[in-house]
Amino acid sequence: MDLVQLQRQLVEYRTSLYHEGFLDAQFTQLQELQDENNPDFVVEVVSLFFEDSERLLNELTTALEQQSVDFKRVDAHVHQLKGSSSSIGAQRVQKVCIAFRNYCEEKNVEGCLKCLQQVKHEYSLVKTKLESMFQLEQQILSAGGSIPM
Amino acid sequence: MVLKMAETSPPTSCASSPIVASPMGTPLRKVLNRISGLASSCRNKTGYRGRCRRIFHRDVEQEEFQYASARCLSSYYSVFVARLAIMIMLAILIALLTVLTWHFTKMYTTKSLNTLAFGLRYELLQRPILRMWGILNSTSEITTAQVKLSEYVMRRYSKPSTQAELVEQLYQMMKDMTWALFASRKALNAITINYKNGFVQAFHRDHKNNSTFYIYSDLANYSISGTESPGNKMLSMRQGWNDQFIRGNVSAIWYREPLDPISGEKTGKALPIPPDEVINIAGPSQVPDGVASWHVAVSKYTDSPLLSAALPVWDSSNTSIVAVVGVTTALFSVGQLMKELVEVHSGYIYLTSHEGYLLATSTNAPLLKNTTNGTKLMMAVDSEDRVIRMGAQWLQKAYGNKFPPGDVVHVEKANLGGQHYYIDSFFLNLKRLPMVGVIIIPRKYIMGKIDERSLKTLIILISASVGILVIGCVCILILTNGVSKEMKLRAELISHLNARRRAEASSNYKSQFLANMSHELRTPMAAVIGLLDILICDDHLTNEQYAMVTQIRKCSTALLRLLNNILDLSKVESGKLVFEEAEFDLGRELEGLVDMFSVQCMNHNVETVLDLSDDIPKLVRGDSARVVQVFANLISNSIKFTTSGHIILRGWCENPAVSSDSVKCSPDQKKPLSALKTKLKHHGNHMKKAGKRDKKIVLWFEVDDTGSGIDPSKWESVFESFEQADPSTTRTHGGTGLGLCIVRTLVNKMGGEIKVVRKNGPGTLIRLFLLLTTPADGTEQHGRMDFAKHGVAVILALHGSMGRLIMSKWLSRNGVPALEASEWNELTQILHELFHPRTRNCGFDDHYSRGEPLRSRIHSLQDMRNPVYIVLVDLGLLDLSTDIWKEQLNFLDNFSGRVKFAWMLNHDTSNAVKIELRRKGHVLMVNKPLYKAKMLHILEAVIKERHAEFHKRSPNGNRGGSHECVEIDSTHFETCSSDDSEISEKGTVKSNTANCQTPKNCLVELTRLGSEVNILRAEEDECNAWPKLHDTEDAKCENSNSPEQHYVSSSTKDEDKSYTSKAANGEKSLEGLRILLAEDTPVLQRVATIMLEKMGATVIAVGDGLQAVDALNCELVGKEHRRDRMQTDICGSPPYDLILMDCQMPKMDGYEATKAIRKSEAGMGWHIPIVALTAHAMSSDEAKCLEVGMDAYLTKPIDYKFMVSTILSLTKRSA
Repeated sequence: MDLVQLQRQLVEYRTSLYHEGFLDAQFTQLQELQDENNPDFVVEVVSLFFEDSERLLNELTTALEQQSVDFKRVDAHVHQLKGSSSSIGAQRVQKVCIAFRNYCEEKNVEGCLKCLQQVKHEYSLVKTKLESMFQLEQQILSAGGSIPM
Repeated sequence: MVLKMAETSPPTSCASSPIVASPMGTPLRKVLNRISGLASSCRNKTGYRGRCRRIFHRDVEQEEFQYASARCLSSYYSVFVARLAIMIMLAILIALLTVLTWHFTKMYTTKSLNTLAFGLRYELLQRPILRMWGILNSTSEITTAQVKLSEYVMRRYSKPSTQAELVEQLYQMMKDMTWALFASRKALNAITINYKNGFVQAFHRDHKNNSTFYIYSDLANYSISGTESPGNKMLSMRQGWNDQFIRGNVSAIWYREPLDPISGEKTGKALPIPPDEVINIAGPSQVPDGVASWHVAVSKYTDSPLLSAALPVWDSSNTSIVAVVGVTTALFSVGQLMKELVEVHSGYIYLTSHEGYLLATSTNAPLLKNTTNGTKLMMAVDSEDRVIRMGAQWLQKAYGNKFPPGDVVHVEKANLGGQHYYIDSFFLNLKRLPMVGVIIIPRKYIMGKIDERSLKTLIILISASVGILVIGCVCILILTNGVSKEMKLRAELISHLNARRRAEASSNYKSQFLANMSHELRTPMAAVIGLLDILICDDHLTNEQYAMVTQIRKCSTALLRLLNNILDLSKVESGKLVFEEAEFDLGRELEGLVDMFSVQCMNHNVETVLDLSDDIPKLVRGDSARVVQVFANLISNSIKFTTSGHIILRGWCENPAVSSDSVKCSPDQKKPLSALKTKLKHHGNHMKKAGKRDKKIVLWFEVDDTGSGIDPSKWESVFESFEQADPSTTRTHGGTGLGLCIVRTLVNKMGGEIKVVRKNGPGTLIRLFLLLTTPADGTEQHGRMDFAKHGVAVILALHGSMGRLIMSKWLSRNGVPALEASEWNELTQILHELFHPRTRNCGFDDHYSRGEPLRSRIHSLQDMRNPVYIVLVDLGLLDLSTDIWKEQLNFLDNFSGRVKFAWMLNHDTSNAVKIELRRKGHVLMVNKPLYKAKMLHILEAVIKERHAEFHKRSPNGNRGGSHECVEIDSTHFETCSSDDSEISEKGTVKSNTANCQTPKNCLVELTRLGSEVNILRAEEDECNAWPKLHDTEDAKCENSNSPEQHYVSSSTKDEDKSYTSKAANGEKSLEGLRILLAEDTPVLQRVATIMLEKMGATVIAVGDGLQAVDALNCELVGKEHRRDRMQTDICGSPPYDLILMDCQMPKMDGYEATKAIRKSEAGMGWHIPIVALTAHAMSSDEAKCLEVGMDAYLTKPIDYKFMVSTILSLTKRSA
């Protein structure tokens, strides 16, 4: 019974993630790609995303702290972040990235800093959410159940 | 005079200027008031209008409006200022003109008139004075004459003789003489002679009653003795005489004797009268110094003053005065003259003495006044005549007694009792009697008219100028009103233009936005479709789920197609659509297209026919994808509306020589065609001229269907966006109405035109021409075989009448006799006729009576020497529903020795039939539809086989199981696959609402076409029918597609299943390929890797361009051989089969990396296909990608199917 409850919890949690807009179809695609050959594909990709994003966010932070902001570089970073977030389906991060890029084009430091804060916020949110989801999955797997799609 | 004029004129001008200025002042104020009023009203008005506008068009920006109103206001102000300025200037101008005109007219007339008036006055005055002078002169003359005569007479009688007698005689003599003188001068009033002794003789003439009197004193008291007094006593004597005189006179008795005025005869008795009663007798007192004296006297009897002159008469010794002669003249005549003069000139003249006593006037006023002391002379100032009195008073007041030198006064304007007069005076300086003549002429008389006129002129001028000013102001107002209206209009126009520009800009922004959004739009769609594909691959789906997923996929592809359409449009609109210039085989593209659509059409029972004229160049330069898109849209549109009949795609080359040919192709459309042709002739000619240089050609195409047709009124509008001929079509046929719009846009961009043309019969005929360049070496016609000499004859046993007709015509044109059969029975009949002309063993052919033409044609075929008959049989002619078809096949086998059978397969022909056919040795099989290229290949194959037969001399050449295969469709494999996804998408979605099964069919068909090729080709043991190009291709195709074989064998299975199997095959379709993936985003890298690996490819992922280049180089150097395969590989082959290159990467981006790779490749002799991965879906990016040497490009996120097809096509090509 515990297992079933866990599974239901996972499904509900995931649905809520979709509903709240943290994730989109792209994440589903990722899940599709996961098969017996790559059993941990989603976790792998998502952790890749985390690493990548943290690196990018750090670089963005330092880049925006500079006296003269190199907007080209910032833009490139944001572009990357946008690409990777859209690839895993973290669409809220992606949306902020779009706004971020607009500010970059305008060379608006204030806006950029604001967006950076937002991105960080969204990123940490999605990270927490995903991590808790993975935890749930782990729990299910360790309990010997299969992950419901 | 002039000076005075000048003095007087300034006041007039001064007086006039206020008159002019005062009306100016008030309008000015009014105008100013009006300006402010209008400005405020304008402000109000605009405010009101603004509100209205805001109400009606809420989306109109407020800002714009305010701007406009501000502009409006400022322009009003400027208009008012301009108005004001113009009005003021006009007023000044008119005032100046008025003043000047008035001034000059008045001044000059006044001046000249004054001169004239002066002359007149002078003349007037001169005449009475002259008369006066004449009177004086005559008086003095007479006096002198009297004196001389008296002296003479007295000297004569002075001898001392008898005193009484002498005296009597003397006096008588004197009387006679004096009478003579008196009578001679009518004007004389009196002549008196006063003798020394006191005797007085006088003649007096009373002018009033015209009587003449002789007056004398009593002679008794006088003696002349006293006259002889000595000279020394003279003075004393005179004194004494004087006393005596007076006394004597007083005492003397005077007699008056009336005389006849003419004869001087005595008419009455002499009457005594008191002395001095009647006349003044000039006594010696008047000539005290012995010289003549003058004085003015008055008489009781005359009412005019009298002028008296007195002269003494000296004795012979000149020592003593013996008598005094006095002559009195009445000044009456002077007054008379004056009256006469003045009568004419209406003025007043008077003469005064120096003292001011009136002597004569031109009036009848009395000159004398009666006082108690008797009548006296009157002073001029006391004259009873008003004017004279006032004139005299004026003169006195002005000058007093100090007259200017010469006593000449000229006054122009003397105000006498409210009237103006000219006053002129002259001084007549006579000795003892200086006189002053004064003339008073009313100014009105001389200047009256002038003054009146000038006043009138002034009034007229002023009123005229005021009128002109008013009219001018009104005109200016009207004019400026017009101008301001125009300005208003212009302002409105400008604001409209602005609005339009804004709208255009926003529309442009929209297009820009859409174009830029294309990536954002396509990405999720591609993801959805890709994911659906993945989902479909899943074997664990239940049937229900599978059906749903396939539905979703269909809908997604429909949506994607719509998106693509919109994006295409917006790309064109935003000017981002770039045509690529590449050579392509137009015919092949179109054939592929027709192949594709025929599948769809067959379900509709619609025949698709491709009818390209032979002169169309094989290779043209242009954007093949866009050309294909044009026709795909047109044909799909036609299919949508055509439920039965045919769809013909005709094409020909604009060329005078071929135009007749094209007409032949469409004989029934000759008339409308020619109409269009003449219309476009000019254009065409122009193109031809240009074509000489650039090798540009005009290609004409027609898409002719037998559908519902389009109403002529909609012929133009169907090409508009979102426009459909009938709004209800959306309901019945679906679609967005974008297709034709895109077509027209594309055609126009390619330098062509498209329009709907009238056609006979039902349906629509759309005609278009494209302007394409042909490569210099591509213009030559591909070698047309002369089939006539091979003795080939074709029997077309086909269902589709249109395709059959066109094909047979084409064959006939190329020297191949053709027979047509539309059904099985006809075919059998023809065959019987051909080979068993006499033994008609088929019973049922008697039921069919063939026409004479057919028979004659059959006979003409029989006349051919050693003919090769090719029978092209539509599989549809066989009865496949039952097993009869096997019988039919057997029947045909009877002729297999003599004829060659070629089979037209349907797309859904079951494999069993095919196998059966193949078993029977029928290896010539083509898929529907039939078109030129396929026919050509059949003919070529047959001819070549025949040749081979001849050479080998093997009679069983085609019987002994040697399966020669002619598969025409394979020629399209390559081109089809290059834009596989696009076409299949189009093909599938076009009718998705009408028939949901179609897309699947099409997809399946497309892949199956390819697979069939391979099956057939696998069985091929002789390759003589094939150019060597295909040889090299075979192995590869076989390799990559071999797993699909099992599908073909099971193609009759449920379609859902076939799709699954297909997808399952697709999963491993990249088996054995080594792919280098250059992608910097780890996430994307991972996803792509998994995708590719799932399809069986080996993926080497690198993080950026530099690494990609390095990886390639490493492989080349051979330091790192990760694969055994590589070691065994010959050096000449590239280390990777394909590179997927992200365009935006750190360190070295995709473009740079590609350039580097291409550079390094240069020496190696191979070409690794590089596929760009880009996040931008713009054509310009594509151009950039291709420019740096990439072979294809994929948009991110990756569309699974498209990626596979792209990779496959590229790897195959390079293999």
